[in-house]
Amino acid sequence: MTDQVDPKVGVIAEPAAAIGRVLPALRGWATPRTRAAGIALVLLAALLFPPVIHNDGDIDAAANALSFAALALGLNIVVGFAGLLDLGYAAFFAIGAYAYGAFASWQLQPAWSGFWEPFQWLDLVARVHQAGGDTVHFQVSFWLMIPIAAAIAAFFGVLFGAPTLRLKGDYLAIVTLGFGEIVPIVARNTPSVTNGAQGLNGVLPPQLFGFNFGVDATPYYYVGVAFVAFLMFTSQRLKTSRVGRAWMAIREDEIAAAAMGVNRVHYKLLAFAMGAAFAGATGTLYVAKLQTATPEMFMFPVSVMLLVMIVFGGMGNVWGVVVGALILQMLQSWFLQDLSGWINAFGRLVEVEWLQHIQLASSIELIFGLILVSMMLFRREGLIPARRRVAALSLAEQSAQVGRGGIERLSGLGRVAEKSGEPLLEVKDLTVRFGGLVALRKISLSVPAHRIIALIGPNGSGKSTLFNAITALVPAETGTIRFAGEEILGLPPHRILERGIARTFQNLRLFPNLSVLENLLVGMHARLRTGTVGAILRPPATRREEAAARERAAEILSVFGNRLLPRAQHPTASLSYANRRRAEIARALASQPKLLLLDEPTAGMNPAETLELVEQIRNLNRLGLTILLIEHKLDVVANLAEHVVVLDHGELIAEGTPDAVRRDEEVIRAYLGRQALVA
Amino acid sequence: MVDYAVLLQQVINGVSLGAMYALLAIGFTLVYGIMELINFAHFNVFMIGSFVGMWALELLGLSGQSQILTGLALVGALAFAFVAAMLTSGVLGVAVERIALRPLRGVGGTTGMITTIGVSYILFNVILLGAGADAKNYPNPMPVVRWEVGGAVIDLREVLIWGISFVLMLGLQLFVSRTRLGKAMRATAQDSEAARMMGVDVDRVIVTAFFLGSALAGAAALIFGLYYNYTSFLIGYTAGLRAFTAAVLGGIGSITGAMLGGIIIGLIETLGGQLIAVRWTDVIIFSILVLVLVFAPSGLLGRAAPTKS
Amino acid sequence: MLEFRQVDTHYGDLHVLKSVDYRIAEGEIVCLLGGNASGKSTTMKAIMGSVVPTSGHILYEGRSLKGVSTAERVRRGIAPVLEARRLFPRMTVYENLEMGAYTRPRGPEFEGDLARVFALFPHVEERLHQLAGTLSGGEQQMVAIGRALMARPRLLCMDEPSMGLSPAYVEQVFDIIRTINRQGVTIFMVEQNANMALQIADRAYVLQTGQVVLSGPAAELRQTELIRHAYLGELQVQS
Repeated sequence: MTDQVDPKVGVIAEPAAAIGRVLPALRGWATPRTRAAGIALVLLAALLFPPVIHNDGDIDAAANALSFAALALGLNIVVGFAGLLDLGYAAFFAIGAYAYGAFASWQLQPAWSGFWEPFQWLDLVARVHQAGGDTVHFQVSFWLMIPIAAAIAAFFGVLFGAPTLRLKGDYLAIVTLGFGEIVPIVARNTPSVTNGAQGLNGVLPPQLFGFNFGVDATPYYYVGVAFVAFLMFTSQRLKTSRVGRAWMAIREDEIAAAAMGVNRVHYKLLAFAMGAAFAGATGTLYVAKLQTATPEMFMFPVSVMLLVMIVFGGMGNVWGVVVGALILQMLQSWFLQDLSGWINAFGRLVEVEWLQHIQLASSIELIFGLILVSMMLFRREGLIPARRRVAALSLAEQSAQVGRGGIERLSGLGRVAEKSGEPLLEVKDLTVRFGGLVALRKISLSVPAHRIIALIGPNGSGKSTLFNAITALVPAETGTIRFAGEEILGLPPHRILERGIARTFQNLRLFPNLSVLENLLVGMHARLRTGTVGAILRPPATRREEAAARERAAEILSVFGNRLLPRAQHPTASLSYANRRRAEIARALASQPKLLLLDEPTAGMNPAETLELVEQIRNLNRLGLTILLIEHKLDVVANLAEHVVVLDHGELIAEGTPDAVRRDEEVIRAYLGRQALVA
Repeated sequence: MVDYAVLLQQVINGVSLGAMYALLAIGFTLVYGIMELINFAHFNVFMIGSFVGMWALELLGLSGQSQILTGLALVGALAFAFVAAMLTSGVLGVAVERIALRPLRGVGGTTGMITTIGVSYILFNVILLGAGADAKNYPNPMPVVRWEVGGAVIDLREVLIWGISFVLMLGLQLFVSRTRLGKAMRATAQDSEAARMMGVDVDRVIVTAFFLGSALAGAAALIFGLYYNYTSFLIGYTAGLRAFTAAVLGGIGSITGAMLGGIIIGLIETLGGQLIAVRWTDVIIFSILVLVLVFAPSGLLGRAAPTKS
Repeated sequence: MLEFRQVDTHYGDLHVLKSVDYRIAEGEIVCLLGGNASGKSTTMKAIMGSVVPTSGHILYEGRSLKGVSTAERVRRGIAPVLEARRLFPRMTVYENLEMGAYTRPRGPEFEGDLARVFALFPHVEERLHQLAGTLSGGEQQMVAIGRALMARPRLLCMDEPSMGLSPAYVEQVFDIIRTINRQGVTIFMVEQNANMALQIADRAYVLQTGQVVLSGPAAELRQTELIRHAYLGELQVQS
């Protein structure tokens, strides 16, 4: 979901907005210490809830609410973090539930054979003596089933996610909806495994050190609390890690993410798998408590309810999602009941018939619909928005003089193994075709290491297309592209970045809702190593890596003096146009490229800003960075490039020094147009 | 052994169902063609249309299937019900656009679709709470008249469906190909910026698309009630899935595609139910939906996959 | 007839047009020239109403166009020929021409307008019932101009009419522009191909990064080196 930072808030939305403003205002006082204290307080309240309330019905409702909070957290990963609108999420809930049902109930009873003996030895199955022959009784422990169900669900997450990888948002939603509906229907129609619409029977309650959970809600409640706490911890850790950044980059701008080294297939499937795993594990918990499962529990309305929860609470925000889920669940099981009671009593008071019979709880879906529509119209970021408010710059910071320098700290940038004589980038006979239109025709060009080459030409001549072909954002029909001695044509965009080619875009493709710093960290994605496990556990190696990454990001930002550093925490959408251009260049630099492709970097800048950037580019080149530059301001070109290549209508029409090219007849004709054939 | 009479019967049924799905699918594809928006609310506008048709017939004093009318009385009663259902649905569709979608014009991504899910829920639950969860007996003043054809049976209802669907679809085709506003609609669907430059009021075109699409859904809804002799708050969901798949299969954005897709899906439903099993038809249809979207998103007659990012 | 007074436009916080002045008198052919990203297209959009100036005025026949809808501007006599034609690909040539006349009352005038278009573009009449998307680039350009003429404009705004056309077609198009102008239509034309544009224009403006850096009679501009400098991005702007 590429929701822009949207300041529009309607008049009717004031109350909702006010609530949202209060929380960030409180957040202003939230130092790490008060935050830790706050969390401890919440945890304490959660632990004391059952003994204090001591009403099994309420505890039961709370335990259920916790399950849905866990589900919401899982959906948040897929929708909130990665931007993949999954409307069939309940399917994974079902898979987890039925997995537990299969392996921990009396549902499946295959005939006994020697095959099962090792499992019996591990106490995973029991041998049951029956009249017609011995059968297997599955009794895998609840605790063991949680990760197993999560794994099974994750597998299906990948299975259902794979076909959607190339689809756009709304089509992706529909396909996931399709899968989401197929699962419960299959469940209903395969009674041998699931007992169909009647529901699983004989589901085993969990046992802990001999203590059987039984029917009392309290032990399930505590497990739920632990569950949700763990999932929140995991979500939060993922969000602020390399993995979370990769997801958010995909959400914000998939193309730019790929160009910055994010392996889209890997991370999209990871999001599906992770989200499904959360749901699968929760399915186990839910079914163990309920002691049964029916297909109705997993249909579209459940997926929609979860969507409403995360939209309401704040998509992408871990606490927001949990709060949203808990509020809506409490609404359904407590508040509406009580409110109905009051309305009924009131109805008896005023002797109005229909008021006495109103049951608001059954209109919960109507309320969900109203909430969904209202939130979309008035407060798309939800109750607790994912984007933190950032303190405005002080006047001093705003008018700070631009400090030059900081570039020395970037030494080593662009260092290339010197292969004598061979150019860093060699393009030969490259042809790119879009349908019937030939965008590039047999282009050959070579970029020697450590040089600045400029690419110029009138509108539509194919300059950006050449960049797109080099970075694999468009396919080439024929030709070769060799980089540092190796063929790169055919590699996917993220591998090209890994090899050392980074770029900026003519129309700016930053990640608008991510901060400048986060943008740079995404740029570093390919140079960092932390995976999912490291992101969650944060071993010392990961911590070191993150710290070093942030330091390096600061160094890169200092290339631009005081322009970007003070704004490092600001979302890039809030930056001025010139600063956004700089941020995009910084992001490309973060990937430690050997070759930098700049697409009209000075577009939209005034002469002073242009001069400043020219000097910065020259400094980067002095450090060893090879640069291929698209520009149409010829004085910029003359200042920077030693060699200029001119394209027109997809063909190379001239090349040489800036001076020579400037006077070239063909070039002038390309820009100004052919003379009339008849005067 | 294949019983051809049974197959023929299912083909006849399938075409009737398909015509209904086609009407529903057209409304859906009209909106998508212009706005690239999947309108989930459409199917519950359909459901409400069927209730309105029912109430219109009840207003005339009809109830159940035993009160028969013939000749002019029948035509009059049906015409009244159709007008009521179509007008109400049309207005409801426009209201949905005005209230829930117009403020979101310009916000990209899936926001519009999510909002229509919310609206759909609202419509669905208003009827559920207001009219109850039970299936309603549909008042049907049509006499039972049957003809035998090749071992299969066609009855008056089928003729009604085919007739009305044909007239409505023909009417729509004439509208978009002959009238100024209709052509403006086609133009807007192909290039809304250029259309605006020609002086087209794009807002008005969008409202028209919603009105027409919803009105057709209203007609389909009344047909549903008269065909099955019942309606309930759930019919939006069941028919909606099929109509949606029909629109996608036929090629989203293409009116003829929706018609073609509708007939195909109707046939798949009846023949599939006959040859495989009724309880698997949902899965079959969902699978078709998924397969088309993943492997051939432009469907049979549609243009290339949308460009909205 | 058309006047821009100190018009500024912005795209977000990007300043696109900077205090731009144009004056186009009735009956003239005026060209707007400039290199990449100079603001030419934005000018066209501002005239048609897709882009709203952040300051300054656009006047048409003496009246401000502020708040006037695109449809109303067409009704008042401004018709666009869009960049890259943008015909409705799945509608026939005839239907495209009909859409051009959308703002005009349907009646006997329509036939007359159609006849006029056929007179200018005989090939168009041949292909009347062909789907517009199947025509060649040059043929499409003819239809696009014809479509604009169906609105009986007094001011025709053309956005890069020669783009993507073979030299033969470019000749034809420019010939037709001259003819239309002689028939009384004022022409304001954005063009990349400066040489050809200056052959038929009366006057021209040259834009560079949103500012007018040169203006004057076409004959003068044809002689000067300055245009080349402006296109190649070399001209320093006097503030």
